[in-house]
Amino acid sequence: MIIWTIAKTTVGDAMRKKVLQIFLVVAIGLIVLSLSFSQTLTFSSREGAAVDLMLVKSFGLGLMAIAGALISLVLCVSLIPQEIERRTIYTILSKPVNRYEFIVGKFLGAVLTLAINIGLMGLVFILVITLKAKGMEMSMASVASGVAQTEAGVQKMMVFDMNMVWGTIMIYLQFLVLSSVVLLFSTFLTPTVNFFMGTAVYIIGIMASMTETMAKSEAGNAVLKWLYTIVHAIIPNFDKFNVTNTLLHPETANVNMGHWTAGVTLYALLYVVAMTTLAVFAFWKKEL
Amino acid sequence: MPEAISVQDLTKIYGPDGGGVTAVDHVSFQVEKGEIFGFIGPNGAGKTTTIKTLLGLIFPTSGTVTVLGHPAGDIEVKRRIAYLPESPYFYEHMTGYEVLDFYARLFGMDRDTRNSKIGALLEQVGLAKDGKRVLRQYSKGMLQRIGIAQALINDPDIMFLDEPTSGLDPIAHKDIQDLIRSLKSQGKTVFLSSHQLIDVENVCDRVAIINRGSLVKIGSMDELLHAGTTVITLAHAADDIADRVKPVADKTSVEGEYLKVTVRGQEHIQSVLDMAKGKADLVSVVPQRQSLEDLFVEIVREAGR
Repeated sequence: MIIWTIAKTTVGDAMRKKVLQIFLVVAIGLIVLSLSFSQTLTFSSREGAAVDLMLVKSFGLGLMAIAGALISLVLCVSLIPQEIERRTIYTILSKPVNRYEFIVGKFLGAVLTLAINIGLMGLVFILVITLKAKGMEMSMASVASGVAQTEAGVQKMMVFDMNMVWGTIMIYLQFLVLSSVVLLFSTFLTPTVNFFMGTAVYIIGIMASMTETMAKSEAGNAVLKWLYTIVHAIIPNFDKFNVTNTLLHPETANVNMGHWTAGVTLYALLYVVAMTTLAVFAFWKKEL
Repeated sequence: MPEAISVQDLTKIYGPDGGGVTAVDHVSFQVEKGEIFGFIGPNGAGKTTTIKTLLGLIFPTSGTVTVLGHPAGDIEVKRRIAYLPESPYFYEHMTGYEVLDFYARLFGMDRDTRNSKIGALLEQVGLAKDGKRVLRQYSKGMLQRIGIAQALINDPDIMFLDEPTSGLDPIAHKDIQDLIRSLKSQGKTVFLSSHQLIDVENVCDRVAIINRGSLVKIGSMDELLHAGTTVITLAHAADDIADRVKPVADKTSVEGEYLKVTVRGQEHIQSVLDMAKGKADLVSVVPQRQSLEDLFVEIVREAGR
């Protein structure tokens, strides 16, 4: 009950942050604007329409990833320091609230806020691509009747793309992991330093395949190899969540989506639990 | 029966490995149950550090701190205490009612208990009509009142009040003084830290003065403020009385028909009364009190601040 009470209050507080509202509105606005891509690209064939739709999907997923990164960084860097600065933490922790309940409650609040933000973006994104695919399907149908394309060919245009739901969930999962890292940092770093540290962790995590290659490289300095091995082991592998290509070209990827999603979800959850546990320990004896 | 608060040889040093700034230096004191205890000192004296240690928000470098017989910060202790920080801030998007509901939920109160408590508390702190307004529309005085209300939500045995009257208008100031007195009448213990020395003098049973991390004075108001002198006022004194009392008096003065004799010590009071017997009318015998402000200034100046 205490954790849920703190989480709900955190959501209410976070959703009123102007900067987060701006990120959300701009991201949703740009996703909606991507509908107009059909006016800037010419398609006169099925293939052209498919490329056009793929561009919108790619743009939407990329935009959600950027907005999600900014939202999770801005939201979580101030999660604990702001409570200390505003002194609300003193009235909360002088009540029968354990420190772990406070940390978990704050993080749960951030998790829910992130879910609302990415959920809203994802909803608009899926609506946009569904509308776009529907519009294209109708255009193609009229063209098909004119040029006698087969009905089967027209129906290959997928109106509702389940892969985009998976894509949105993957974006959410990766920012859940980033949020947990930033939460841990927020127990001992200032918000500004935390923002840059979090950004660095995210960028290094995206380049996980590169750090892995460097760690396994036969040639090169032994110390650097050792360093890359450590970095690759500690920094979350955000590259795991980067599935845009797989989702946009499912025909070229030999992946069982169910197994793969389960594996990535488990990875994210384990990482989140580990980071939250470390944050609880870091906060346990923190001088307030 | 354990004391409400016990601080034994508390030392708090900020900085890495205890090698930094000493905020509190070997401080010891006890606060009895039902007592209103004033804790005063100049800025940076160690008041807030001591309060935070009592609340378990920071940890002693050495020494022991117990509240209601348990270690400070114990969850069972926190069910029975309350804290009002200086210039409290609450989530300003919430209404007064929602803020109190939030704090009530932290005590695991059910809906009916919360509703009845919150209504009564809003009434008690004079915000019954403002409970549905969001806090960003509240004045400083109203925020302080909601702070008091959140502190009372669990009907605490001990209240820690840090500058509760800071920045308040005279009406709100008076209301909070009255509230502190009413807490005493309910048998609550109040630990009051304030720069408003007149408040401390008016409401506290005992006072501790801390300066540069060390406890420099502690005692009841009478013990601390008794200046050690007594003024005996006589009327219609015979001509020779003023000369006769001079050897035992610190000072004598004639004000109209009155002779005022200032003496130090019980035996000198008795001597003057014996000398005046049958030769003057006794008007009053008034022990002189120092104000807390005078005492505080004297102590701090002696310490070189």
